[in-house]
Amino acid sequence: MGGFPILSALTFMPLVGALLIMFVRAATTGSRSADAAATSGRTALLAGLVISGATFLASLAAFSAFDYGNPGYQLVEQYPWYKTISYKMGVDGLSLSLILLTTFLTPICLLASWNSIHTRVTEYVVAFLVLETFMLGVFTSMDLVLFYIFFEAGLIPMFLIIGIWGGKDKIYAAFKFFLYTLLGSLLMLVAVVYMYVAAGSSDFEVLEKFRFAPEVQTWLWLAFVASFAVKLPMWPVHTWLPDAHVQAPTAGSVVLAGVLLKMGGYGFLRFSLPMFPDASHLFQPFMFALAVAAIIYTSLVAWRQTDMKKLIAYSSVAHMGFVTLGVFSFNEIGVQGAIFQMLSHGIISGALFLIVGVVYDRMHTREISAYGGLVHRMPIYASLFMLFTMANVGLPGTSGFIGEILTMIGGFQASTWAAAGAALGVIFSAVYMLTLYRRTVFGQITNPALNDIKDMNWIELVCIVPLALLTLLFGVAPNLIFNMTEGSALRILSMMAGG
Amino acid sequence: MLSDALIMFIVLAPGFVALTGLVHKWIGDRIVMTATTGVVLAAGALSLAQLFMYAAGVGHAGEQASTEHGEILTQHIIPLMPWIHIGEFNANWAIRVDTLSIVMMAVVTGVSGLVHLYSWGYMSEDPHRSRFFAYLSLFTFSMLMLVTADNFIQLFFGWEGVGLASYLLIGFWYQNKAPNDAAIKAFVTNRIGDFGLALGIMAVFCIFRTVEFGPFMAALRENTLVTPIAFAEAAPAREVTMDFLGHHLPALEVIGVLLFIGAMGKSAQFFLHVWLPDAMEGPTPVSALIHAATMVTAGVYLVCLLSPLYEYTIYAAGMVTVVGAVTALYAATVGMAQNDIKRVIAYSTCSQLGYMFFAAGVGAYEAAMFHLFTHAFFKALLFLGAGSVIHGMHHEQDMRRMGGLAKFMPLTYVAMLIGTIAIIGLGIPHTQIGFSGFFSKDAILESAFAGGVEHVSFGQMAFWFGIIAAFLTSFYSWRLIYMTFHGPMASDAHDDHAHAHDDHGHDAHGHDHTPHESPWVMLVPLGLLSLGAMFAGLYFHTYFVDHENEAFWAGAIYRAADNHILHARHEAPEWVIYLPLIVTLGGFVLATLTYYFNRGFGRKIADSGGPLHALFYNKWYFDEIYNATLVRGAALLGNLFWKADKKVIDAIGADGLAEVSQVTARRLSAMHTGRLYHYAFVIIGAALVFGGILWMRAGGVN
Repeated sequence: MGGFPILSALTFMPLVGALLIMFVRAATTGSRSADAAATSGRTALLAGLVISGATFLASLAAFSAFDYGNPGYQLVEQYPWYKTISYKMGVDGLSLSLILLTTFLTPICLLASWNSIHTRVTEYVVAFLVLETFMLGVFTSMDLVLFYIFFEAGLIPMFLIIGIWGGKDKIYAAFKFFLYTLLGSLLMLVAVVYMYVAAGSSDFEVLEKFRFAPEVQTWLWLAFVASFAVKLPMWPVHTWLPDAHVQAPTAGSVVLAGVLLKMGGYGFLRFSLPMFPDASHLFQPFMFALAVAAIIYTSLVAWRQTDMKKLIAYSSVAHMGFVTLGVFSFNEIGVQGAIFQMLSHGIISGALFLIVGVVYDRMHTREISAYGGLVHRMPIYASLFMLFTMANVGLPGTSGFIGEILTMIGGFQASTWAAAGAALGVIFSAVYMLTLYRRTVFGQITNPALNDIKDMNWIELVCIVPLALLTLLFGVAPNLIFNMTEGSALRILSMMAGG
Repeated sequence: MLSDALIMFIVLAPGFVALTGLVHKWIGDRIVMTATTGVVLAAGALSLAQLFMYAAGVGHAGEQASTEHGEILTQHIIPLMPWIHIGEFNANWAIRVDTLSIVMMAVVTGVSGLVHLYSWGYMSEDPHRSRFFAYLSLFTFSMLMLVTADNFIQLFFGWEGVGLASYLLIGFWYQNKAPNDAAIKAFVTNRIGDFGLALGIMAVFCIFRTVEFGPFMAALRENTLVTPIAFAEAAPAREVTMDFLGHHLPALEVIGVLLFIGAMGKSAQFFLHVWLPDAMEGPTPVSALIHAATMVTAGVYLVCLLSPLYEYTIYAAGMVTVVGAVTALYAATVGMAQNDIKRVIAYSTCSQLGYMFFAAGVGAYEAAMFHLFTHAFFKALLFLGAGSVIHGMHHEQDMRRMGGLAKFMPLTYVAMLIGTIAIIGLGIPHTQIGFSGFFSKDAILESAFAGGVEHVSFGQMAFWFGIIAAFLTSFYSWRLIYMTFHGPMASDAHDDHAHAHDDHGHDAHGHDHTPHESPWVMLVPLGLLSLGAMFAGLYFHTYFVDHENEAFWAGAIYRAADNHILHARHEAPEWVIYLPLIVTLGGFVLATLTYYFNRGFGRKIADSGGPLHALFYNKWYFDEIYNATLVRGAALLGNLFWKADKKVIDAIGADGLAEVSQVTARRLSAMHTGRLYHYAFVIIGAALVFGGILWMRAGGVN
């Protein structure tokens, strides 16, 4: 405590930036022509890039102040707020790793929008920055009420991003997204209120020590999981995701898959396991069943898709199934694997959505059948797409492998059935990804519109190449992550064991 | 043994040099080709030198560890960098140097170097040469990581890495449909095997608390007490039983079977063999390197490496024997009826891998490794020879359109003859006269017989299947020679252009369409491999399977105290020793009668449409059966689930909710009629109902 409130600064930096952009925009609104609008849009994007870049640097500062040896919350800030509810922030390895993912992906999202967003650009940038603050708040909060506010507030900018800058059926998708997540969250709200009343505090550290009676745990667990299961998403509450992804603009999909889904896994690890350990044990078989169902079911569905984005979206659901498997294995390998899988999936699926976005921007269709033979015109694109295809099927040497194999090894120790089911999904992932790649990139060019398609430009390369490098880096040296998350994983497990 | 730096060069340099493929635009094809070929040839020369030094007993360096039972294990680990470290789970990047990896390094880099060189000729007109060479080097690197791993996770890295390289190279001519289909089929079928391999690795960690070979094998060799993480009680390593998928089973059997499923996928054994023949869609040098000499032998390598495991299993080892024996026979029957020159050799590979597996299954791991070693030479030779034929025939692969090529390409003919004599295992028993296959195949057959005598499960069966397969091998190998090189040139070879297979879209070259001998860059590798096919068996058999085998293997292969199979094979009766020669000659005679003296015979059988020919020609209908069941089944399920998403989950979930609220809203708004007497009616009615309820609660009439 004391010292510079780095976490608050980090969290609210994008929001402040967004407000600044709006003020400047309001002040200059007088002269508006189409030309000026375009210029001001570009200026706003640039400003957004600077702000989110600065936020990334701030998160690196937080990272450098982080002590690997301390498994508890660090960089804690606490100010009284209302009665026993306080404004309290802090991070452990788990939340810090997700914060870094968020701050890393946001500038990439904004840059990726450079050529693809042409309407209401300023508002778009504002929405993204506001979203970033809310996402960061979710991971920095150490108070349940504060957490809930960030968790819910994040819905609004995302709803707008899909609903305003989305595709043809954006309204349906936006409302579906909103409805599902809101319903889940309402149940969580009831649980939050109950917990606050029962424990007399909404401080994480108090709640972690407070032992709810087993039958109470069951209800609280269900209420929380209702919300996290939708976010993750788990089968069968996953159907909002394909629609949301397909309709969202590229950057929206990146942030959705990259960060928003991770809130579900984060929730499991932050609340379900340490605060409701008995209930978690009780529901372990249930969660394994849903995880395996998600992996196999959605992998098969992914294979049958004709829309590139939908395919990747279903593949996301399958890959998040590994997170559930790892988390509920209740052992270090599984939990570490699950955290790693969240980060790895954030990078890989984000990159895959960007990859789809590259050709969507050129052809304005996501239909797989409209493509084929891209390798003849876009060799760089083909190489990067191949890399992420392999990362998505979990080829060793990429980060995708580490997350999958560790969650399965962890899961195996809890249930051989669950591990076998998940391993089956690994076969299917090869089927759908290789089919997708083959139909879009290989073969002959049959669609004449593809004859003049251009390879990736430097903006797209700047967005995707860092993700490619990280995928390989974490695949070869995953200890970079494990060293950071080890303390929190062990701490969560010891709290489960009653320590 | 070489210095650490040189060994690191052998293993890692091909990986680095593969990266030049990424920048070929700037540095040019020539530099990429020179760099990759040079590095891999240098690695090959070093590895071969290392093998010879090792065999000669010069510098048996490395740490010698004596186990309790007095066995000596010579092994040297070069750590590279940490990889995954979580709690007890430790897997590092490392290079393991022992006899097994030294043999494999020599095979991999030796053949790979020659294939690189050969490709200068074979791929000379391909516009994507750099990509091809980069993939070849990438493959070499992955394969070396596989064979030098000191833990299961790095092995898995190499295992899937070679799978990736294989996928990329099978689909090298990506503009065509067939290579793309074949590439995906190969990757996915291998993934089915990897499903088993991955589960096996998980089981190993769960029981032994390690994925590193050292402690895992030490526990098995010394039968130390292990304390599993879950599903099993602490017990001596060889006796642990575990719960797996609801069954209580011996842990070693579970692990052995699961890991062998991985081996079946990679080595194209029965049930999971379907990808290998299709993999022939790749360029022929690839078939020689990956789908004959090296990658497909990874499964055999795995079983031999895990000899401490398979020595203490009955069912898993029995499964290895049965699957190997069945594959050896099955693939030979199919090989007899194929007309595509590469497919014949592909099935032959499949069959020879079967020999290796049943040798390992009965406990003759050394014989399996020996056959792996000699097979690499003569099978690479046969494939590169076939490539030379295909090159000379302007990308014709159908043997029915060939014939009489001996006079057009005499050197290729000689090379193919050497390869054929080597693969059929021709040699004179009790002498040192014979080509490589003679030494290794006879060692395998005698071991299987000895296994049968000692009641090793399925030893008898393996021996007889092996004998029949040897007859068929001789038949189809000579059939290939006769159809390709002898007799008159098939008349339609000149004017029929329906040659789809190895065609990479430059029909323009070779305008006169006369078959021609290949350039020297292709002939030199053939010559060197011919030397190997002739003399590798003669030179190395004492080390691999005879007098000096214990000193040579130095503990890298483990045999249980009661496994004397390598000695017992020398006690086989005379008829067992002469039988392989007899059936080999029988196959030769039959092929000569039917394909040399009576050339129309093959077509007559094919035209007669007999059920047996149809069965063999159609590969026992495996593709058809798999397509009708597995592929269609998965597609149906996928479609069903997809519909369920819309029609069931959404109908109950979001869409249903929206529907219900809309209907409710409509009903509710319908009540707002705006007519006063409607409202009055409702108010009065409600008042009556509520009043009634209050009245009842207050006690009613009482």
